[in-house]
Amino acid sequence: MAENNDFEPNIVAFLCNWCSYAGADLAGTSRITYPSNVRVIRVMCSGRVNPLFVMNALQQGADGVLISGCHPGDCHYMHGNYYARRRFNLMRNFLEYLGVEPQRVRMSWVSASEGAKWKEVIEEVREGIKEVGPMDQFKRRQLNW
Amino acid sequence: MVDLTKLREMAREVISREDVREFIGYRPGTYGFRARPAFVMGPDDADELIFTPACVNNLASYIVLEEKLPVKRGEEPDLRKVAVMVKGCDSRALVQQMEEKAYDRERILVLGIPCRGVVDMAKVQAKFPDVLEVGDIALEGDKFVLSFNGSKEEVAKEELLADKCARCRYPTPLVYDELLDAEVERFADDDYADVEELGKRSAEEKWAYWEEKFSRCIRCYSCRNVCPMCYCEDCVLDRLQPQWMRRSVDISENAAYHISRAYHLAGRCIQCGECQRVCPVDIPLMELNRKFYHDVEELYDYEPGTNVENPPLLSTFKVEDREDFIM
Repeated sequence: MAENNDFEPNIVAFLCNWCSYAGADLAGTSRITYPSNVRVIRVMCSGRVNPLFVMNALQQGADGVLISGCHPGDCHYMHGNYYARRRFNLMRNFLEYLGVEPQRVRMSWVSASEGAKWKEVIEEVREGIKEVGPMDQFKRRQLNW
Repeated sequence: MVDLTKLREMAREVISREDVREFIGYRPGTYGFRARPAFVMGPDDADELIFTPACVNNLASYIVLEEKLPVKRGEEPDLRKVAVMVKGCDSRALVQQMEEKAYDRERILVLGIPCRGVVDMAKVQAKFPDVLEVGDIALEGDKFVLSFNGSKEEVAKEELLADKCARCRYPTPLVYDELLDAEVERFADDDYADVEELGKRSAEEKWAYWEEKFSRCIRCYSCRNVCPMCYCEDCVLDRLQPQWMRRSVDISENAAYHISRAYHLAGRCIQCGECQRVCPVDIPLMELNRKFYHDVEELYDYEPGTNVENPPLLSTFKVEDREDFIM
C-alpha cells in the first residue's frame, strides 16, 4: 500500500477540552501548518471517550482514530486520563488481534502549550495510516441510508 | 464423585428452610447424555437432582437473569435466598458478580462442587450420534464411562473433555457455604497458546480469519443471554438512542457486535465458556474473551472472579500503568 501516495486518510480525533483541544488551538493561532486530514471532536475529558467510539468511527468511514488528553497528572478532573489509558490499551490490543492495524488507533498526550507537538502527532498518525491504506475491514458498506 | 444421596438430602434440607426461595441445580435431560437446569421449589422436587460430567451449564447466570418485577403496594419484596449448585468455574462468576455488587453475599446460598472436568457435548454428540434414550456419563479416574442402551463404553478423558476444563485453574469453588465433595487440586493451567498463535499472524491473516467467523453470525444473541456477566438491564445492544450497532446482519455490524460484546467482558470474563458452547454457528468466542483475559493478566496483573475484595478492573487505575503505546 506504500506506493498509494494519493490516498489521504480521514482521521477522527477526540481531544480533551482542557489540554489537547487547547493545544490544537494553539497550533492554529501560532500559524503552525499541520495536515488537514484530521476531524476534531471535542470532549470534556479523554476519560469521556467510550472505547466504542473508536469502533463506531472506524465503522462510519474513518481510516484512523486518535484520542488525545492531558499528560498523566495534569487531568482537569484529577484522573480521567488514567482511566482512558487503561481502557484504550485494551481496545487497541484487541483491535490489533482482530486484524485492524495498530497504526489506525492511536493515543497521545498533548498539553495546552504543545502546539508544535500536536503538529508532529498529526503528521505521524497520517504517515502511519497512509502506510496501511484505507480502512476496509469493517467499514459500513452503505454509509448513507 | 458426588454422592447423589448426599446431594439430594442436602437440597431437601436447604429448600425446606424458611429463608430459601429456590434451589437451582441439575437434572437429567430428555434424551442422550444431556443434563438440564432444575429449579427446585419444594422438597419433593429434590429427588431428581444429579451431578455428572454432563452438567455443563453455568447456573450462576440464572441468579442475575431473573427479572425483578416491581413490588405491589403494601407487599414486601421477596428477600429469601437463592441456593445454587456451582462448579469451580461457575463459582468465579458468582465472585465476579459480587465484586461488581450485583447482589449481596447473604442473598445466595452456594453449594460448591469440586469438579474434575465436564464433557464437551459437541464431542460426545460426534462420537455417539444416535443415542436417543437417556444415557449416563461418569468420570472414573482418567476415563469417561458412558452407559446407554444397557451397554457401557469407556473413553479417554482428553477425548471428550471440554476445552475450558483442560486449562482450568480453579477446580474447587472459590466461594461456597457447603462443599459436596473433597477439594480437588489444580490439575491444569492455561498457557494461552491459541491466543498467542493467532496474535502472531499478520493483520491481513487475522482479519481474514475473523471475517469468516463474524460473517457466520446470525445475531441470535445467545452468547449474550447465556453469559453470567451480561446482566445489564439496559443493554447497549438493545438501545436505539444512541444506536451503537444496527440490527442488520452484515460484516460491519457483526464485527461491531462482537467487538462490543467482548469489550464489555474485558476484565470480567471468568472463562466459563458458555458463550462458545451455545453458539449455533460455532464462532470461537472464547478466543476473543481469552485475548482480553490474557492482556488483563499480563498488563494489569488482574484475574477476574478470584477475589470479592478486588475492585473491578476498569473502574480503577494505577499511576504506573503501561503507556509505551502513547505518543
